[in-house]
Amino acid sequence: MNDPNEQAVLSEVPRQTFELEECGFREVPKKWRKFYRHWEGPGDELGPNEIICPVCKVVIRSKREIRVGDRLYCMPCMSRMIVVLGEDGTLQTDVTY
Amino acid sequence: MADFLNSYSIQRWLELCPQGYLEDTVNGHQEGETEAESILEDDDLRTAAIRSTVQLVVGERAALAASSGLVNLAPDYPSKHFLATQTLDEARHVEIFTERLYDLGVKRADLESTIDNFVNPHLVKFAEVLLEKIDSGDFIAGVVGQNIVLEGLAFSVFEMMETTNRVPNPKFAHTLAGTIADERRHVGFGENRIGSLIKEHPEKKPEVEQMQKDMAYHMLKTFSLSFEEGADTVDKEREAIGDVGEANFHGTDLSSASSQEMQAVLEATVISEFRTRLARIGLEYQAPVGV
Repeated sequence: MNDPNEQAVLSEVPRQTFELEECGFREVPKKWRKFYRHWEGPGDELGPNEIICPVCKVVIRSKREIRVGDRLYCMPCMSRMIVVLGEDGTLQTDVTY
Repeated sequence: MADFLNSYSIQRWLELCPQGYLEDTVNGHQEGETEAESILEDDDLRTAAIRSTVQLVVGERAALAASSGLVNLAPDYPSKHFLATQTLDEARHVEIFTERLYDLGVKRADLESTIDNFVNPHLVKFAEVLLEKIDSGDFIAGVVGQNIVLEGLAFSVFEMMETTNRVPNPKFAHTLAGTIADERRHVGFGENRIGSLIKEHPEKKPEVEQMQKDMAYHMLKTFSLSFEEGADTVDKEREAIGDVGEANFHGTDLSSASSQEMQAVLEATVISEFRTRLARIGLEYQAPVGV
């Protein structure tokens, strides 16, 4: 997914949506718990609606597929970030200060 | 800036922390939980647990002194409010790790002498570098030293200890889980607040980077001595607790790794995190020499 044209095509495809359930993450108030889970380290495969907060390492979960340009908020560390395409073609985040 | 700092309010701290993940806990763990019998019944293992917990108490005492000092140095009230919550977090950490020392059999009258006996001298030097900056009134260096370097170190060390204790000693693992949750806010504030301040004060970079280099030197010396002292009891601990399954920490199975392998993965993790976090706020990691 390094090709920008591929991103442009993808942006026209409707996003997948997801039903979220709590995964045992208790570090935020109850109504927000389903939006986070603990990262289990290398080998913990992320879904298309998940991304790791680069500051505090929790997995942020969305009700819809995450794409480049999305803005995210991590409640456990209170960081704001924007989704970018990493050099290896995976989705990553840039923290905005 | 004011907008982002509003997230770090005392109200938010109340909702997340005392009314959230700490609700119904006693000294950070569930009521009625006790230390693992395997530790309490074996003098070598109990001494090793006391030694490692002393380092946590000393590290948290440094964090308490630093964060309380930063309250008065902060240039705005939202930052002061957050640092006031952090000060209480750090005081809580000092208290719960001190309680663990008592649970491990240290008598209250012997607390300070036990700390003096077991403290790693390099950890004391590490703390002194940070506290000198705060004593001299340097807010930017103080926040980098406290919320990026010290908290970044604590974050990885606590994660490693939580991973190894999850099955054999749930009481201590639960205590650590609450402190890890606190550290997430502290590193978040450090990066978010200092990210903008470093941009405004680029002339501070060389001085801050030198402090980071000095702190990293003493941190690595702390690790060397700690793992050297703990090497003798690693096998005995495994024998005492039996097979607890894999304990994965950044690709290393801590349930079977040697003391040297554990030291290597912790050092690599902490330094990698330092490098990444410092780069995000516009600083370059300075590798210490001679360690």
